[in-house]
Amino acid sequence: MSTVAMITARGLFGRRRALLLLPLPLLLIGLAAICRAYGVSPDMWGNAVIYSLGLAVVLPVVALIVGTGVLGSEIDDGTIVHILTKPLPRRDIILAKYAVAASVTAVVSAVPLFVAGILAGSVKLGAALAAASVVGALAYSALFLLFSLLSRRPVLLGLVYILVWEGLLGNFVSGTKSLSVGQYVVTIADKISPTNILASSVGLTTAIVMSAIFTILGTLAAINRLGSFSLAGETS
Amino acid sequence: MSEAGVIHDIGYQRYSGPRLGRLALQQALYVHGLRSAFGLGRSAKAKIFPWLVFGIMLLVAVIVAAVRAVGGESILSYTSFADQMSFLIIFFVAIVAPQLVSRDLRAGTLPLYFSRPLRAADYVSAKYAAMVSAIWLLLGVPQFVMFLGAAFTTEDGFKGVWNEIGDLLPGWGYSLLWALMFAGISLLIASFTGKQAFAAGGIVAVMLMTTPIVGVLASLPNTTANSLAGLASPVFLIAGVGEWLRGTGGMELDLGRFGPIYGIEAVCLIAACLLLLLARYRKVASL
Repeated sequence: MSTVAMITARGLFGRRRALLLLPLPLLLIGLAAICRAYGVSPDMWGNAVIYSLGLAVVLPVVALIVGTGVLGSEIDDGTIVHILTKPLPRRDIILAKYAVAASVTAVVSAVPLFVAGILAGSVKLGAALAAASVVGALAYSALFLLFSLLSRRPVLLGLVYILVWEGLLGNFVSGTKSLSVGQYVVTIADKISPTNILASSVGLTTAIVMSAIFTILGTLAAINRLGSFSLAGETS
Repeated sequence: MSEAGVIHDIGYQRYSGPRLGRLALQQALYVHGLRSAFGLGRSAKAKIFPWLVFGIMLLVAVIVAAVRAVGGESILSYTSFADQMSFLIIFFVAIVAPQLVSRDLRAGTLPLYFSRPLRAADYVSAKYAAMVSAIWLLLGVPQFVMFLGAAFTTEDGFKGVWNEIGDLLPGWGYSLLWALMFAGISLLIASFTGKQAFAAGGIVAVMLMTTPIVGVLASLPNTTANSLAGLASPVFLIAGVGEWLRGTGGMELDLGRFGPIYGIEAVCLIAACLLLLLARYRKVASL
């Protein structure tokens, strides 16, 4: 199991691919630092940087790239065969890949959000944002890992979720908010450290329970799907 | 039997018909690109996502047209239609651009293409034209549906229809601006990787992460920075150009006296994308 995790991590970070994950967090910290240096009130820029960039873009996009990258790219390349033919329970394969995806996403998104939170207010806000983004990383990774087993185009499916479900419908139809990970993350951060920057729209209990449901159900469904995974020959 | 200069003639028939030149190659690539943008000529799975986006856009247009027909009130103008649908356009370019260029890299068809009299410029221009057409159709057809809804229910007779046409044409022009800009940026990003998944992720990351920069710059205590904020993001850059050309805009951008700068940057950005694409394929072409 640890070997699978190691191979997965190497697949993610091998060569210079890890550098692709750098610009988003750096931009987040950089913008927060610029605003801080200009002495603008955090109420003015906090929402744009922390919510619009950090929680609405950096977290889901990193989770999407990493979460579909751990399994989806192996299915795409056909190298998944090498892992599937090893005498390993498929549960272990999914768990190892999920652990890598969730921890990488958590580190890449929580660290810059922590820094931005400190720049915007206090250490408490930073810690709240970091904790919330870890929860978000767990839920998003499970979801996107599942997507890479449901479809041959997991990134596009994930983009439908991020752009259409959370982005477009979230603005017009308030009902989708209770089923979107982004809202849980905002709620958790807001409830730990209440500020004017974030506006939560669901209850704290709902947020925590639903994140846990997303995480557990996503992982279980992924294990189930990989258990009956068949190798298709030709890509369309 | 054997001619001079031929080492072995094993009797294959020679092709002696007319040879179609670069123009025909370009046309073929363009048609193929436009068809594959919408998944035509490919499996049903490849059609899902482009037609999903197109369907949503069309649905919105039909709703707008219906509201206009019933209430006589326009809830969405032709130009703000594109602004409101920006998420879907971003999604659409993330589907189409990797489809057009990343697949060629992945499948190794580029050396085959460039073994014909095709030049890098021909390849780039054909793909760019196909992408621009695809985005323009994505916006233009729903706008036309909105126009039909308005034109059939107008009460001013022919004058009302003529007024609608006067509104539709700038809307189509604005859509073309969207198409030119987004096609350039997304093709450039997609041309760097053969993996469609990474290309799609990269395009969305670039488009989405530039938008909050505008919000940040707009909140700085400096009117020049506020006026120039829109330059940081393609979406706002297009909105700024539209605002500058028409005098009014859908998005709350305060251009001040910097309108021409938006126009200049838009032109420069499109040109830079095309030049970088050319430079990128120069290298492949000489392989």
